[in-house]
Amino acid sequence: MSYSTFNQEQTNPLAEPMFFGNPVNVARYDQQKHSIFEKLIEKQISFFWRPEEVDVSRDRVDFDKLTNSEKHIFISNLKYQTLLDSVQGRSPNIALLPIVSIPELETWIETWSFFETIHSRSYTHILRNLFSDPSEVFEDIVINREIKVRANDISRYYDDLIFHTQLWQTHGEGEVEVDGKTYNISQRELKKKLFLCINSVNALEAIRFYVSFACTFAFAERELMEGNSKIIRLIARDENLHLTSTQHILNLWQYGEDDPEMKEIAEELREEAKQIFMTAVEQEKQWAHYLFRDGSMIGLNESMLCQYVEYIANLRMEAIGFDAPFEQRSNPLPWMNKYLVSDNVQVAPQEAEISSYLVGQIDSEVSASDLGDFDL
Amino acid sequence: MSNSFKVVVNGQQTLTVDASEGTLLDALESQQVEVHYHCRNGFCGACRTKLKSGSVSYINEPLAFVRPGDILPCCCVPTSDLEIDH
Repeated sequence: MSYSTFNQEQTNPLAEPMFFGNPVNVARYDQQKHSIFEKLIEKQISFFWRPEEVDVSRDRVDFDKLTNSEKHIFISNLKYQTLLDSVQGRSPNIALLPIVSIPELETWIETWSFFETIHSRSYTHILRNLFSDPSEVFEDIVINREIKVRANDISRYYDDLIFHTQLWQTHGEGEVEVDGKTYNISQRELKKKLFLCINSVNALEAIRFYVSFACTFAFAERELMEGNSKIIRLIARDENLHLTSTQHILNLWQYGEDDPEMKEIAEELREEAKQIFMTAVEQEKQWAHYLFRDGSMIGLNESMLCQYVEYIANLRMEAIGFDAPFEQRSNPLPWMNKYLVSDNVQVAPQEAEISSYLVGQIDSEVSASDLGDFDL
Repeated sequence: MSNSFKVVVNGQQTLTVDASEGTLLDALESQQVEVHYHCRNGFCGACRTKLKSGSVSYINEPLAFVRPGDILPCCCVPTSDLEIDH
């Protein structure tokens, strides 16, 4: 089952499952098993942006005016987001590309990861503007205990899937001994690991970013750190799209529209999947506690932020077929929404960006009446 | 043919919605219903709403996964009287 970069066997991509079928050979998009991934690619590409387009120079002046507890909130969130995008910029590629079986999904995964690298580069753009040497901030990401706890939970499902896929690809099914430890490798076990991994990524895209988004937009509500907020709006728009893709994968499995074995696994591991989500909710609440340990900021405190996490967790869990687990049905931070509307996102002042800006920008329709006043 | 439909929201409020004047989400919002949304563009799914009876049609094709029995009011309009849980 070793991986080939160009599988020479003739395959029919329309009959392949999303994962664990034959490796993709021809990157063709004229026919699609799940056309949604091609649509997501188009939408994502239409969202293309560069961090340098956003002027963050005024943020430095604002940053100096923040209180120490506000600086702690701002910098901690940037560290956490840097961690999230460091993981997301590489892991979907490394974990999912070796096992994906349809071209449109393969290309979606690459497009998705690429956009996470834009996010990573934008954090450097923001931090370079705030500090003459941002090293201390970056270095703390692998030292800070609060961040490490999260890093561990985010990466372990990926790491587990990657390691077992490697064993499967080099040794095939059956027992394998590595460094004195025996692993029992089977495709079904791998599919279970894939299922848990996608659930963990889904929870990441669904809620892990939102505590930090809320703080950023709370600063923007006070007209502070607005360059940063413009960048985070672009990131939030991308993350919403990434979330849609993991929700699609999970729902396609659940409804048996892809691999029937994945439908069974989705039922079998339903409780575990729910637990992954609930753990993420708990960790985000603890993160809110850590952020506000030295004091709140105007317009936002720990309990409002925790309510928001519950509110958004309800929406996200219903989207993948769970009942809403929390009481919080109304939005405790209604001003958040205006920053999340995709058409409100604006890069250059002269260019009110609409999502159809790059796609279909030419109106090629010609009617007979357009030529009505032509004389020959 | 009239484009006005009755929309019952959460079993409490009854609104009159004109399908030629913007999306269902716009209509809910203009009549002071607390609305849930993010992108307003059909790709994030945050406005996901239960459709208990009636039918809608989409102005833009949604990219978010629409589970059976759900609708995305940010990109649809009613085509009959509706009962929804938002």
